[in-house]
Amino acid sequence: MSDDHELVPVSQAQPGMVLSDELLDNGGMVLLAKGAVLSEAIIASLQRHHIEAVPVARSKAHRAPDEAAVLARLDRLFRKHDLEDDSDWAGKLLRRYVEDYRLERQVAP
Amino acid sequence: MTITPEELIQGLDDLPSLPAVVMELLSNIDQEDIDISVLAKKVATDQALTAKTLRLANSSAFGLQVKATTIGQAMTYLGFQSTRNLIMAAAMTGCFPSGRCPSFDDKAFWRLSIATAACARVLARHMRFNQDVAFTAGLLHGIGRLVLVTRYPEQYDAVLRENKRLDGNLRATEQTLLGIDHILAGAALAEHWQFSGTMQQAIAFHHAPEMPGAGFLATIVHVSNAVAHALDLAGDADELVPAVSSVAWTALGLSEEVWLHVFRETELQFEEMTAILLA
Repeated sequence: MSDDHELVPVSQAQPGMVLSDELLDNGGMVLLAKGAVLSEAIIASLQRHHIEAVPVARSKAHRAPDEAAVLARLDRLFRKHDLEDDSDWAGKLLRRYVEDYRLERQVAP
Repeated sequence: MTITPEELIQGLDDLPSLPAVVMELLSNIDQEDIDISVLAKKVATDQALTAKTLRLANSSAFGLQVKATTIGQAMTYLGFQSTRNLIMAAAMTGCFPSGRCPSFDDKAFWRLSIATAACARVLARHMRFNQDVAFTAGLLHGIGRLVLVTRYPEQYDAVLRENKRLDGNLRATEQTLLGIDHILAGAALAEHWQFSGTMQQAIAFHHAPEMPGAGFLATIVHVSNAVAHALDLAGDADELVPAVSSVAWTALGLSEEVWLHVFRETELQFEEMTAILLA
């Protein structure tokens, strides 16, 4: 299992967690597809199926974003947008919002 | 070489065809009195298509409380329009052959299309616009690239290599080397496949949503496409965010707080949908 995934006991599974692999029952039937998002109903159903643990994508919040890497990548993505060009304000806003999103900054409501 | 619009349109019949039932769904697009049970039975004869459609219908993006296990049930729970759009999405992602044009990364193409579709759907909800129409338009907005890559694989390979070398605007490079671009090709296919008028407009105008008559759907697709590029979801090292129309951006009128929610929701739906559609 890679660093992006972890095995979580069903008792500790939370709604919103994303399955990182497909989940099979003892007979090899697919219970849940890879990428499925857990809900309370799904977690209850897993408990009824006596599933003990589920592979889920490791929450990104556990790792602080690498600011230098994020900014370098955004510079590359927005390389055709001139930050000095006021007529491209929509492109600049998009870049700023994505930057705030990637760096998990708090924004005013 | 120069491809004229006439040549392109003549060649459309040589393109891979969609499953018959999907063509039927397309041609019945405005028909109200369609017999749903007959249609559900026809779709059900294509097992792969049925499985993909049901997995999509049951994904969290559609929030069904009860799992749909047949196409008929999906139509009852989601409605005919939504289900039809899901069938189209499931059929379309599998219908073009891949691998004939080495420079064309079809996985990256579909990842970007799915990201655009997911974002368009989220934006449509905020704008109280039809979410299914927005999803389908987002998914199909780049279909002209598939037309060019399928019809002219060698020439399109040269276009992609030249565009990479220039780090240029794809549409401009297409026009220089082919005399035609993917917007024109997409609009021609949308007409040939008898997409609805709104859908045709969105495909033809998503690069220029400020044009008179472009329609609001073109605005949604335009901005969703820019967001999909900016969120870097295609997985392309040379990813480039296209120009963002300030007219389209203003028309949506969303605050930064809302945008950040849109980004998050787009990423979540994208992960789930790519797992289903590109399996």
